[in-house]
Amino acid sequence: MYAYTDFDRQFVHARAAQFRDQLERHLAGELPDEDFRALRLQNGWYVQRHAPMLRVAVPYGALSARQLHTLADIARDFDQGWGHFTTRQNLQYNWIPLTKAADVMDRLAAVDMHGIQTSGNCIRNITSDALAGVAADELVDPRPYCEVMRQWSTLHPEFAFLPRKFKIAVSGATEDRAAIGWHDVGLQLKKNEGGAIGFQVLVGGGMGRTPIIASVIREFLPWNQILCYLEAIVRVYNRYGRRDNAYKARIKILVKAEGQQYFDAVEAEFSRILAEDVGAGLQLIPQAEFDRIAASFVRPAGVVPAASVPTAADASLAQDGTSLAFSRWLQRNVHAHQVPGYRAVTLSLKRAGQPPGDVTAAQMDAAAALAERYSHAELRVSHDQNLVLPWVRQDDLPALFEAARVAGFATPNIGLITDMINCPGGDFCALANARSIPVAAAITERFADLDEVDDIGDIDLHISGCINSCGHHHSGHIGILGVDKDGSEWYQVSLGGSDGSNISGAAVAGKVIGPSFGADEVPDVIEAVIEVYRSNRQSGERFIDTLRRLGLAPFKAAADAQRQLTAAH
Amino acid sequence: MKFILTQSDPWHTADGEDGPQPHPPARKHTLLTLEQWHAVRTTWPAGLAKGVMLPNSVDIETLVDDLHRLALVVLQFPKWVDGRAFTQARLLRTRYRYGGEIRATGDVLVDMVPLLARTGFSSAQLRRDQKIAVAERALGFFAGHYQGDVQQPLPAFARDLTREAGPLADRFKADLFAGQGI
Repeated sequence: MYAYTDFDRQFVHARAAQFRDQLERHLAGELPDEDFRALRLQNGWYVQRHAPMLRVAVPYGALSARQLHTLADIARDFDQGWGHFTTRQNLQYNWIPLTKAADVMDRLAAVDMHGIQTSGNCIRNITSDALAGVAADELVDPRPYCEVMRQWSTLHPEFAFLPRKFKIAVSGATEDRAAIGWHDVGLQLKKNEGGAIGFQVLVGGGMGRTPIIASVIREFLPWNQILCYLEAIVRVYNRYGRRDNAYKARIKILVKAEGQQYFDAVEAEFSRILAEDVGAGLQLIPQAEFDRIAASFVRPAGVVPAASVPTAADASLAQDGTSLAFSRWLQRNVHAHQVPGYRAVTLSLKRAGQPPGDVTAAQMDAAAALAERYSHAELRVSHDQNLVLPWVRQDDLPALFEAARVAGFATPNIGLITDMINCPGGDFCALANARSIPVAAAITERFADLDEVDDIGDIDLHISGCINSCGHHHSGHIGILGVDKDGSEWYQVSLGGSDGSNISGAAVAGKVIGPSFGADEVPDVIEAVIEVYRSNRQSGERFIDTLRRLGLAPFKAAADAQRQLTAAH
Repeated sequence: MKFILTQSDPWHTADGEDGPQPHPPARKHTLLTLEQWHAVRTTWPAGLAKGVMLPNSVDIETLVDDLHRLALVVLQFPKWVDGRAFTQARLLRTRYRYGGEIRATGDVLVDMVPLLARTGFSSAQLRRDQKIAVAERALGFFAGHYQGDVQQPLPAFARDLTREAGPLADRFKADLFAGQGI
């Protein structure tokens, strides 16, 4: 993980002190809520249904065990004992009173954490591949680049008040585990024919009311120019992005409206930055600086490549009586690693009785303890709201399995229907039109049989409580969107979306299959849709493959057959 | 950062009964709209101190050829969360090398002042309810920043940070625990 310097450490404490000053003025009545709002948002503080919500940044998803213990302490000492991991690799608290906000920021700063730019119309926390630095399919480790960009974007004075939020995601592997096509800027690290490292740059993706996939603006940008190029992208957006309508203010609308003209404007701005601006050359990242940062991301001391053991041999490690459960877990929750003899292991945060992505303080401590014991005290937060242990020795897998099972993290469902993405929804979020947690719970209950879940196989089920799309319903093979009709909760179902992962195909928004369903109908609809797949699949076909082969019609018909409250159109 | 007190500010607009005068008389320290400036730019004496108020929706490039004739460029924040003027100011300084005064007006809050200073504003007319003392305090929280800006073109990685000890330097030191399993 990136090791904070004195400068970094003092910086987050300065930010906490600045926020305390603002909070005190607000509580003293000197800073009215309409002015305080944007300031608290840029420190991660929303005002929600029950209390303020705090979103803590977990830069590119990397978390130390010590940090997670502190997050657990904060949950105990300030919250009602809960945390929630998000699709953008952050952690949210829902029950902290605003009067305690500055104290919480001090506690976070003590472990190099903060809420900087986790909300507001600014460059948000940069996300990346949860398997960065360990993935077997990695081309280039994205973490040092993410850290360089984190520093560049942190309190950038020109881009603090953009037309709308601005999200950057970075991938360095052949598999896109960061959904880069769905971001305002998506960056794919690659090597060109000469072996030089650079970025393929995508711009203008986003979900919300108008789902749009990002377009390639640059096929290859030399890595050391990335800060200048981002400056050009964001500056053109800051100047020309719409500000008259919040729903049309994301960069995707500008890119869609201007098309090639936007691309030309960015390229022209980029050239001018390099050719004309005072200090532009200083933003070209020197190799020495890259090396300084990259030194934080070397393999932990003690990770020593072992004689390679084939994946199939993992199962031979199973102990008597647990072999089926263990091999299921190996198949779903254990991932290939770039260091021979090592595995990355997902701790599933999707289990019956608890909302997806939610963790108690005790569970945070338990996960941190597992990381300390089995993963060099490091964890990752994944885009699909699980935790990952990146440095697990293959011969520790049986012991880790047992420990994870005791702690409730071993549900063998990663990538399966119960590993759903889910926003907090109307139970917590003031923006939501409908609750999402009960829908997730009902589906989890319906698909409680592990054999059945396993048989259904790889599928992305994504649930959002409103069109803001925090639950990424657009990109789910099955997407569920909560809508409000005359004050009651309804759910729109879409099919065929993709986040851009290999099995899902190129990123695309799913298609809505008719009028919304009542909450009680949703599990039946999902089951009916799944049944169409199971009875029509050809050998080796996943849900998404069968859906693409057959088209929407049979799935829509099966869903419509479940309607009791509405007529199909 | 200079904070403008209206009563002692020499600058004045040239308004008639129906808004800005179309052809204002040449007077020192007149603050002109873009239209007024275009009307008088060839006739007013070069040595006369004058300024232009530029809406944040207008390209800064509109003024580029005239910058050497202007002692003041006033940029606007119709709402404080509308950040276009930060880009205008930064371009004025870093691309067009403008050396005159850049002033922020409109919905200018004390909490914006660090951003104003870093993007090249040299003066600010705070919103009426804002306190200068709080604005000055707002400038003091950070010893330095990561990215280069108008005040400090060098990004953190190009500076000797050991010389930048801020108010928190003695209290907070890195303990290099990250990834150490402590």
